[in-house]
Amino acid sequence: MKLFSVTLVVNGRAVTLRVEARQSLADALRGELGLTGTHLGCEHGVCGACTVLLDGEPVRGCLLLAVQTEGTEVTTIEGISPPAGLNELQESFRRHHALQCGYCTPGMVLSLHALLARDPTADEEAIREAISGNLCRCTGYLPILQAALHVAQSNRLKRADTSSTQSSA
Amino acid sequence: MIGARLVRVEDERFLRGEGRFVADISLPFMTEAFVLRSPHAHARISRIDIGPALALDGVQAVVTAADLPARLPPIPCRIPTHGNMEPFLQPVLCRDVARYVGEPVAVVVASNRAMAEDGAERIAIDWQPLPAVADAIAGLKPDAPAVHDAGNVASRWGFDLGNVETALSEAAVTVRQTFGIQRHTAMPLETRGLLAVYDGARRMLEVHGPTKVPHTNHALLARMLQVSTAEIRFIEPDVGGSFGARGEFYPEDFLIPWLALRLRKPVRWIEDRLEHFAAINHSRESRFEVTAAADAEGRLTAFDVKLVADLGAYIRTHGDVVPSHAAASFPGPYRVRNYRVAAVAALSNKTPSGTVRAPGMFEANFARERAVDMLADKLGIDPAEIRRRNLIRREEMPWRVGTESVRRPIIFDSGDFSFVFERAVSEFDRTALPRSASGTIRRGRGICALVEPSAFGAFESARVEVDGEGFVHVVTGATSQGQGHETSLAQVAAAVLEVPIDRIRVRHGDTGLIRFGGGTYASRAAVMAGNAVHAAAVAVKAKALRTAAQKLEVAEEDVRLADGRFELAGTPEVNITFAAIARLLAPGNAELLQSPTVANIADNDGLTASCHIRGVPSGTSVFAVHLAEVAVDVETGQVAVERYLVAADVGRAINPRIVEGQLIGGVVQGLGGTLLEEIVYDAEGQLQTGTFADYLLPSVHDAPAITAMVIEHALSPSNPLGVKGVGEVGTSGAAAAIGNAVARALGVPAAINALPLTPERVIAATCAGPVP
Repeated sequence: MKLFSVTLVVNGRAVTLRVEARQSLADALRGELGLTGTHLGCEHGVCGACTVLLDGEPVRGCLLLAVQTEGTEVTTIEGISPPAGLNELQESFRRHHALQCGYCTPGMVLSLHALLARDPTADEEAIREAISGNLCRCTGYLPILQAALHVAQSNRLKRADTSSTQSSA
Repeated sequence: MIGARLVRVEDERFLRGEGRFVADISLPFMTEAFVLRSPHAHARISRIDIGPALALDGVQAVVTAADLPARLPPIPCRIPTHGNMEPFLQPVLCRDVARYVGEPVAVVVASNRAMAEDGAERIAIDWQPLPAVADAIAGLKPDAPAVHDAGNVASRWGFDLGNVETALSEAAVTVRQTFGIQRHTAMPLETRGLLAVYDGARRMLEVHGPTKVPHTNHALLARMLQVSTAEIRFIEPDVGGSFGARGEFYPEDFLIPWLALRLRKPVRWIEDRLEHFAAINHSRESRFEVTAAADAEGRLTAFDVKLVADLGAYIRTHGDVVPSHAAASFPGPYRVRNYRVAAVAALSNKTPSGTVRAPGMFEANFARERAVDMLADKLGIDPAEIRRRNLIRREEMPWRVGTESVRRPIIFDSGDFSFVFERAVSEFDRTALPRSASGTIRRGRGICALVEPSAFGAFESARVEVDGEGFVHVVTGATSQGQGHETSLAQVAAAVLEVPIDRIRVRHGDTGLIRFGGGTYASRAAVMAGNAVHAAAVAVKAKALRTAAQKLEVAEEDVRLADGRFELAGTPEVNITFAAIARLLAPGNAELLQSPTVANIADNDGLTASCHIRGVPSGTSVFAVHLAEVAVDVETGQVAVERYLVAADVGRAINPRIVEGQLIGGVVQGLGGTLLEEIVYDAEGQLQTGTFADYLLPSVHDAPAITAMVIEHALSPSNPLGVKGVGEVGTSGAAAAIGNAVARALGVPAAINALPLTPERVIAATCAGPVP
């Protein structure tokens, strides 16, 4: 089977993959780079468990071929996790019991990470929309909404703090 | 610590993407397997040619039924049934006749999955299609094709309690209605998978991927391979959901370890989603013909039920337990002593079935609660009021239904149903928003009362151990598929031993760590494993206390546990830590046990205790109330659940946050089964729903606002913690509550009788006639 070279940036680090043309990005991340936090739930683009960020935007790792990612920047769950512990969104997931089996969790976190990067004070409708392509079979979604809303609310408070500090200065 | 809303110890690894699911594990020289499955619902195999597949580069083995060990038995049923299931059991590979789309025919092992699939495409099979039974009820007709030589009925049974005929003839009102529950299933987000590796020189087979009941399946695999259980170790990885379906012994659970043994190479098999649809246990497909009767005051006087369940092409490990539970528990939380049921477990050329969260109960609750609502309508009584008048009373506990399932009597161990009922109804009333019909939107409220029998199974085991550094090890025979047992069980141990949760390590699902295990099913882990851990921790504490007294040279009754150490009452500076006691009790420590001079003596065995808990046959019983408010668009047929409340008396909640999570998640799963999910076959038995685009799971847009009321009122008398199994309660009443709400919104009681409540069915119902 012919192998192709693909050079891209994964989690801030330049890598060159040698992949078959038929290999999906998710398979390449998992199999070639050992980034097993990207999960496969349906392999046809519906469940969202394999969500990764491609140049900052959520994409399905199962629908993209690795050879299509030449020159792009890919971020996985490993890439947004701090060296130890949890980031603010992840911590909010934990506080709100927004995961049970943990299988959909990396995809959920990445979809919401991208939303909150774009719209730090996103409202409930925007949050629902952002994870409308991520299926969760355990939680019933409500705790996930609460986790994301909590971060958006805290961003709102931070923004209010900043603007009041600026106006008083 | 018991009752604390702790955040889960599992969460960090999952949130960081560091969970270790079976597909995340790989080994040097690992091969991958692909299972070739029947494309026909019913067909005879006249020839299989594996030659072209074997010739393909990268393919290392191709096996068919002809390669299986001689006299390999079919996969046995693991629980008692209502009939002889032997003629209907599933072989691990079909030999002559395939009986459903998805039945395993051959396995290809290659250097990687893609090569194995390429190989499978080159296997040539001559099929002779046979007429198929696509619907078990049609299959009961005398001229129907036969799924098996032994026919299309696996078992028939029934109960006849009280005097149903008299009750029906004397009733003020009766209703008669047929209810249909569609085939659907658990659909965990992670598909199944196994990785098996055999060290031939040491005769050791390791299997990664089992869950749910690993000890049971471990013993079964040893029997099927005719090797010692000491030669096999099952290791449960992180598991992405089960809901009852994942973790049973399927054909692959023999095939993959057997191939690893045969090839002497690691073999991994990861199911894809299409395979999952065709292969994993389906559930719930059934028809209930219900006659229900009441007197003029709305007292329920009789239920008369005819039940047919479509179990698919073979009887698997669960036997006929799903309709068995439905038949045994149909009367629910009501004081009805005249009850008759005739049940049939029938076969069809579809994927075999097993349990899924609230097995039989989701179905029975839908049929019963719809019938009760129809009686209320006929009598002009409010739906809440008719239930109120019929609930079993506190002083009538324990309540013997008079039926049995899996050779265990159905007994409700405890409960104060009225108390829970009134709290649920008043809370739902209190939080109601003023809404009414507008335009094409009709609104309605539905209610369901139910009892969920839980915590079945003979036993559970646990070992608690304190090491020389003061860490506590908890090992359990239960397993985890996401419920949070690593947290709940740590809380139980922490409560007894008074050590911080971060000093406790919970291990589960590993036959190499604990000899016996029951597993996780029937909402049993908190009850069975929780109490096994509790008893083992109590024994460890007692042992530590004895040792502390000996070391401190004081009386046992003067020693107390405080701040994680044992101290002399009134003199806290005289103390000893758990770690120091553990070191004293380590074998070889000479301080408390001097070495003998002539003959060996029995040594200390560490600060450890094992406990095996024998369960109550009838388990624990959770009373629950579901309330739903729906908005139905009569133009589009769309049903939106706007508000939902589930209240459950759980006895005692080890971690209320986890219990709420089970309830809320369970409701949304039940909502899926009520409105969206259906496994569809065509008339030839071809599977029509093989992707998540065809089979709809609830998404975030389907999730209503849900209030979960965790009520701790009637402790279970069966166990020292008083806990009841709660994992299935959220799902169990969803179809009943939502179905009743839709019927009320549309004002067509008799027309809401078949699930799922698709837009087509809802529109047909608004035209006032039931559709098939």
